[in-house]
Amino acid sequence: MSAIIAFFKKPFIRKYANYFIIALLTLVFGLLSATGSLKMGNQFLMEQIAIAVLLAVSLGMVVGFLGELSLGHAGFMCAGAFIGGKIAQMMVSAMGVSQNNILVLLVSLLVGGLTAALFGFIIGLPALRLRGDYLAIVTLAFGEIVRAVVMNLPDTMFGGTLGVETPRFDRKYFFVIALLMVLVCLAVTQNLMHSKHGRAIISIKDNEIAAKATGIDITRYKLFVFTISSFFAGVAGVLYSYTQSRVQSATFDYNYSIEILVMVVLGGMGSINGSMIAAALITFINVKLQTVLTGNLAVLQNVIYALILIAIVIYRNAPGLKGFREKYNSKTLLAWLKKKLGKGKVADAEATVVAAGVETVEKEEAKDE
Amino acid sequence: MEFLTSLLNGLSSGGTYAIIAIGYTMVYGIAKMLNFAHGDIIMVGGYAMFSTLLLINQPVVALIFAIVFCMILGVCIERFAYRPLRGASPLAVLITAIGVSSLLQSLAQIIFGAAPKMPTRLQISGAIHIGSLAISYGTIVTLAVTVVLMVALTVFVKYSKVGRAMVAVSEDRGAAQLMGINTNAIIAITFAIGSALAAVAAYLMLMKAPSLTNTLGAMPGIKAFTAAVIGGIGSIPGAMLGGVLLGVIESLSLSIPVLAPFTDAIEFAILIVILLVKPAGLLGKTRREKV
Amino acid sequence: MKKILAIVLAALMIAGCCVAFSSCKGNDGTIKIGLSGPLTDSAAVYGKGVANAAQMAIDEINEKGGLNGIKFELKVMDDVNDKTKVQNNYAALVDWGMQISLGCVTTQPALEFKTLSATDDIFFMTPSASADAVRSEANGYQMCFADKKQGVAAANYVNGLGLSKIGVFYQSDIDYSKGIYQEFRNNLSGSITVVEASFTNQTKTDFTQQVSLLKDCEFIFMPIYYQEASLFMTMAKDEAGIKTYYGCDGLDGLDTVLDLSTIPQAITMLTHFKADANDYAKTFVANYTAKYGTDTLNQFGASAYDCVYAIFGALKKAVEAGKTVDASTSASEMCDILKNQFNGGYEYTGAVTGGTEGKVKWTADGFVNKEAQVHVLKEANS
Repeated sequence: MSAIIAFFKKPFIRKYANYFIIALLTLVFGLLSATGSLKMGNQFLMEQIAIAVLLAVSLGMVVGFLGELSLGHAGFMCAGAFIGGKIAQMMVSAMGVSQNNILVLLVSLLVGGLTAALFGFIIGLPALRLRGDYLAIVTLAFGEIVRAVVMNLPDTMFGGTLGVETPRFDRKYFFVIALLMVLVCLAVTQNLMHSKHGRAIISIKDNEIAAKATGIDITRYKLFVFTISSFFAGVAGVLYSYTQSRVQSATFDYNYSIEILVMVVLGGMGSINGSMIAAALITFINVKLQTVLTGNLAVLQNVIYALILIAIVIYRNAPGLKGFREKYNSKTLLAWLKKKLGKGKVADAEATVVAAGVETVEKEEAKDE
Repeated sequence: MEFLTSLLNGLSSGGTYAIIAIGYTMVYGIAKMLNFAHGDIIMVGGYAMFSTLLLINQPVVALIFAIVFCMILGVCIERFAYRPLRGASPLAVLITAIGVSSLLQSLAQIIFGAAPKMPTRLQISGAIHIGSLAISYGTIVTLAVTVVLMVALTVFVKYSKVGRAMVAVSEDRGAAQLMGINTNAIIAITFAIGSALAAVAAYLMLMKAPSLTNTLGAMPGIKAFTAAVIGGIGSIPGAMLGGVLLGVIESLSLSIPVLAPFTDAIEFAILIVILLVKPAGLLGKTRREKV
Repeated sequence: MKKILAIVLAALMIAGCCVAFSSCKGNDGTIKIGLSGPLTDSAAVYGKGVANAAQMAIDEINEKGGLNGIKFELKVMDDVNDKTKVQNNYAALVDWGMQISLGCVTTQPALEFKTLSATDDIFFMTPSASADAVRSEANGYQMCFADKKQGVAAANYVNGLGLSKIGVFYQSDIDYSKGIYQEFRNNLSGSITVVEASFTNQTKTDFTQQVSLLKDCEFIFMPIYYQEASLFMTMAKDEAGIKTYYGCDGLDGLDTVLDLSTIPQAITMLTHFKADANDYAKTFVANYTAKYGTDTLNQFGASAYDCVYAIFGALKKAVEAGKTVDASTSASEMCDILKNQFNGGYEYTGAVTGGTEGKVKWTADGFVNKEAQVHVLKEANS
């Protein structure tokens, strides 16, 4: 036991802890799935979590680090999903390979990502002229335009209202691939943000004029962030297309963009780990609400979700609740649980886990402030 | 002739957008927040009217009740969901607004069910005929109400004490507070006015198209937000201009069968073009940032 | 550091739980039927109609002793008419032990459901997902008419009326409406001029412009759902130029939201459900209304009621032919049994949606074969 603790105390391991955790989860769940002991619902859940995490981390670059509000992230995802999904379908039928062909998947991921990146670059251009909420409405408008145009193109292109048919990967292993993409995205974002470019980007958020004065090329960095961010949204879109038998543009409306934004904001602005935890938690809560509240109880899903959302935002952000926050937070909850439950090992671990997630987020936030 | 009819229809739906947009723009100007729940207050206003009509079959009474109900609701939402977050990141407030919007929609569905309600009692039919051109009473009422409200609100904001306090709060909340203005009260009043406008908008919508569901306000809310941005957010005449422009574009686009499915895309594309040419909207003021 | 350790532990624990739960599948001796449909949001009326009617059918069957004593059980999950949510519902239903399914209520989710259930070989019969593509795998059946058939039938009807100009009012962003309209247009006689007006989900709150476009058309074909149709009719009730509305099964439910006597025009629809078509329909309407009121009474529900009885009838026939069907029959065995019945000329009698005879059959390629009825909802006011 002490050896394990010592292992995790090494500075190298500590720095890349989030990679290790995701890799470990991937490995454990992958093995479980391979042996057939992971339920189908959990396979789907993991896929959705991976996609949500990709979307949240990539949007977090624009909103959290660059400080621009984007309400069109689903639009980029839409572009990736349609182009990537279509290419994959064409390759599968032209080459006569199975839907589970990994080469086809990789090519379509790349093409879908690049298409979305191109759109991101184009939408990044007005970002140079517009500020704040004006940019938000332009991105929202962009997302809606992409959606409406894709739907009304001739049926032979993207299937019109029915949507485009896409290959569907073997669900037993697909979430492993999706989680690996999360690792790639994490590697890119985290290294970028810890580099001098990342510091330049953050300085633009803090004070654009001051950043300009110190010689930072604002135009270049803004376009760069928009492009990278939409690239990963496109990748998420392709992954999504592989989890569905058809991709339909109605899915990518502004509500979807807002859902991603909620994850970023709840995770804490400018916190990659926070975005990841929030994305995973929100997806988990939504799927659980959906599958638990069935029949006549279904109407309660949105009510409960909305109340949780409002409560969390007010608890975490309200200036007036500062004292309350200090008195009742994850740490005090943990202490209380310890006292209540004695030294029971399992309960202890469980409490620590609950606290750990929140704690990471809070610490990172404190760092930002 | 058909073009004229489309234009008139556009003016009519544009008037409704304008009223919603004025509410949006006022709240934005003063609270500096995108009130995503604004559209859903329209929906609540619709249901308030519907419920009143079940008891008292008088559209005017229903309208008055809806206005009062929405004002109270708007102030309550501000008090319990937005005020605790004053001073926090604007994004946090945006997320709460989204939460409130979702909450209102689900509650409406729980209370009134999923099937549409049709308060046909509110419908105003009939038209004035000038030559072969028919101007419906609905259009006339909408335009009259819009113009009157816009003028009244502009005068109110410019000349009344509360109105000027609103301007002061929107310019600089801190300084306004130091001048002895009760900013909390002013913000609450703004929400009340915005919500009252939403109730009026609900009436104008149902008067022409009496079909009521829990998503009644969602899309008009977004459209009105677009209109407010086109006109320059924070500006009342701008919201009016943006709303009418949007309504006319929508109507003309719908009248051409090939373009009709692209209507939303066209509206949003025009928005982007306008913002690229005038980044602060048509009537908005561009503020230079001082170092 | 404890934190990382804790998260690692948590990961293991979650994994542990997944394993633990997956192995225990309770079986309480019933045959389990699963369904996914919109119970919230704008399409909720359909989902609720289906859920209620299916439950009613199952209650009736169980009361009469079930399938030789074996009872049925229904589980309904909400998909908000969002195809992305279907996979979660599907997985939950499979975990619950679903043996037979009623598929999805609406088309888009049904297409997703089709692919998922084809992989696992689970039989489904959807009451109302009408796209032709829903029936492209061997395990999926429909109780409703496929869109193509409705479009062709509507075009033939209109061709026979001898009109020179008609109006069409459709929704351009849903497959149901656009699909029927395209098929209608392909089969419409070339001599008829078509005036077209459309709307999308984003422009469905106000039809002023569309009414002005169509106000000179005597005959308007509207392959749309009743919510929007009721709004259009209310807004156009003063237009003396319009004489007749003609729609497909989506118009069903008009009379639940609208007092039809206030509409001067005649309304006709092509449907498979008519409240007074046969005695079964009359009984169904009476029982449903007594139990759930009229708010959610629609053809979707009637169709779901038939789905349950058709499946029940087919199972009963299979048992008579010597097959064993009980709570432990696996989903794919169930699928084989039912496929053999439905493809092998099984005729379901007593159908609420089966026309005057109350009979439904399936063709060799699996499409439903029953009588389409022209239902005059109301005559023109004189």
